[in-house]
Amino acid sequence: MENIVQIVVDGRTIAAPEGVPLLQAMLDAGIDVPHYCYHPKLSIDGSCRLCAVKIEGMPKLQIACNTQVRAGMLVHTDDEEAAQTRRGVLELLLLNHPLDCPICDKAGECWLQNYSVRFGSRRGRSVMPRRKLGKRLDIGERMLLDQERCILCRRCVRFCREITKTGELLIFNRGHRSVLDIGDSRLDNPYSMCTADICPVGALETRDFHHRLRVWFFTQTASVCPGCSNGCNIMVDECYGQIWRLFPRRNDAVNDTWMCDSGRLGYRFVNRPRLRHPLINESGAPSAATWSEALERAAGGLIRVRDTWGGSAIGALISPHLTTEENFRFGELLRALGAEKLAMAVPRGAADNFLIKAEKAANARGVRELGLVSGEDDGLNSLLQSVRAGRIKALYVCGEDLLRVIGAEQTAALLQPLEFVAVQTLRQIPEYARAAVAFPATSFAEKNGVFVNHAGRAQRIAVAVDPPPGWMSDGEIFTQLLNRIESRAERFSPEAVWSQIAAGNPRFAGLSLDRLGTLGAPLVDPENIGPQTVHTAPS
Amino acid sequence: MAVQVKKVLRPPPQITSWRSGLAIIAGLWVTTRHLIANLFGFIRGRQDFTVYYPEQRFLHAPALRGMPVLVQMENGRERCVACGLCEWACPTSCICIFPAETDSEVERYPEIFDIDMTRCMFCGLCEEACPEEAIVMSRQIEISTYSRGGSLWHKEDLLVPESRLRTRIDFLRSQYGR
Ligand code: SF4
Ligand code: SF4
Ligand code: SF4
Ligand code: SF4
Ligand code: FES
Repeated sequence: MENIVQIVVDGRTIAAPEGVPLLQAMLDAGIDVPHYCYHPKLSIDGSCRLCAVKIEGMPKLQIACNTQVRAGMLVHTDDEEAAQTRRGVLELLLLNHPLDCPICDKAGECWLQNYSVRFGSRRGRSVMPRRKLGKRLDIGERMLLDQERCILCRRCVRFCREITKTGELLIFNRGHRSVLDIGDSRLDNPYSMCTADICPVGALETRDFHHRLRVWFFTQTASVCPGCSNGCNIMVDECYGQIWRLFPRRNDAVNDTWMCDSGRLGYRFVNRPRLRHPLINESGAPSAATWSEALERAAGGLIRVRDTWGGSAIGALISPHLTTEENFRFGELLRALGAEKLAMAVPRGAADNFLIKAEKAANARGVRELGLVSGEDDGLNSLLQSVRAGRIKALYVCGEDLLRVIGAEQTAALLQPLEFVAVQTLRQIPEYARAAVAFPATSFAEKNGVFVNHAGRAQRIAVAVDPPPGWMSDGEIFTQLLNRIESRAERFSPEAVWSQIAAGNPRFAGLSLDRLGTLGAPLVDPENIGPQTVHTAPS
Repeated sequence: MAVQVKKVLRPPPQITSWRSGLAIIAGLWVTTRHLIANLFGFIRGRQDFTVYYPEQRFLHAPALRGMPVLVQMENGRERCVACGLCEWACPTSCICIFPAETDSEVERYPEIFDIDMTRCMFCGLCEEACPEEAIVMSRQIEISTYSRGGSLWHKEDLLVPESRLRTRIDFLRSQYGR
């Protein structure tokens, strides 16, 4: 059990568990002590010496990252000696640092810039020429290295050694000749781009964000990675109605401070050419239609099939990419139609024993928790059989996963004989040309909602990119169809639907959106309602 | 970054002191002297001031802030590295830059550099923000167009050879001690 003790920092008393790094205790208390090499998820290195503070009773300044909290410590961070040390350390770091800020991807979020402005001396005294080292070095598939900018904090080295256990990055030579480089293998591990996040300067850069927009133009939104069922917490950077990059957000219950490279690069489908208006297919080729035309046709088609063959002739393919709220509404729509054959196609891929999960969709678990699908394969084979046997006359397909799971040809062949097909898709796909109605789908970045990850943790996503005016989200489309079928007049509000889910499903009981917060919360285990771990936001 | 507001106390005007009285008299003397010189200067052969624009043109002082332009280096490339500082500094948000990578040593250049001259207010903050002396306020003031679209200046239109901007660049160096 942790033993909470009191220490005094600059006259302020703070409480911290005994034995934690003093630096972490001060950061947690909101005291902004400058530091480079310390990272909460890596071992302590003590190489930058920037976090030096004065501790009463100690003969010299101590580095706060490698000092453990003990009861009654008296710490001074604003001491003149400490300030002088900081200035000195920064001056030495800048001795050989290139004046690259205008062309450096890190500018604007660079710790060297920030600390130099806040604590530095603003004037270089050295007249020696700066060290010339490798720039724009090709060290990996997705990474570049600028050795001149490196401040040798060894965060990246420790990351490769301790987190990915691949050890690609190493420091060569000693003293003022030290230089960071790759060893025998290139930096190609599946988490390589995390090194660019933890690098406090612009020495490690991702190719994807190399020479792109400036970071200060971005609007940042907390969200969840849609790439796999792990549900890594991320930030989404938006500008000019596009996503420019994703990067991990700390959540100790899910992804610590990391995310995989394929998830990080998985934002491009949001930007690339998308279906921006509904399509209807009357004469054999899809043509653009208005929303109300498309909704009328879709509702009409579904009702016709139900009235002719009964609700059991309607099948639906639920998307594991839609939010829990949207799928809940889809479930209501399908119940209203009497549809019985519901299935979900979940694309699968490689997995590892760290973050990457085999199910390449963010919310498959959410669909299962709602009870919409059942069985090992989420009802997919049974649905496919019914379609092939001609028992299903109308199919409502959400998303493009069918193409990835059963292949393009199979998909086209599957849809061909059907009486009526409605699809919701991000792009116009030739295999879906057969569909009588195609609605444009909304990506994870354009809506609010909740995803449930593989471990049953409900986490919120939020609008990062504003959809065009007049646009209907997937949930809104389901709601509008339901309105037309049941003569209701509702709008889709994810918040209201979430309260409905939380009220009606014991697995979601008590999980209000506030409760989920930015870090999410595990679903309730109705068998075993014990004390829930609430993860507080890290500093 | 939060904008910080610093309140500055201005000293109250002291019209009562004898020095302000002297200043008023000195000021009046300057205006009166110019008035007399302009009215009767012709007697001593003074030229009139009227410039018969557009046949004649007036060479503005280097301090004039005309339209912002991009400095073109001798190799024909822009000096700008698309750092985005002018875009950030511009109070009217009339600059739009899309950076891209080049093979040259500077690595970065603006693939798109647009200035919306309908919005520019000639404040010169872009010039002041630029770390590369790449955008300067030229003497160009004849920028009216027949259409609004014509007021959107692209990189190719904005490039002006460095030799023609020498006066302004020298002036800036003298001003900012660069
Ligand atoms: S690492 Fe930071 S200080 Fe160095 S060039 Fe890049 S932005 Fe500037
Ligand atoms: S590349 Fe970055 S993280 Fe790695 S040692 Fe250098 S400064 Fe530190
Ligand atoms: S002169 Fe002022 S308004 Fe015009 S582009 Fe420059 S910063 Fe913007
Ligand atoms: S501030 Fe200068 S270098 Fe930077 S983008 Fe503007 S013109 Fe280019
Ligand atoms: S953070 Fe303590 S020495 Fe680097």
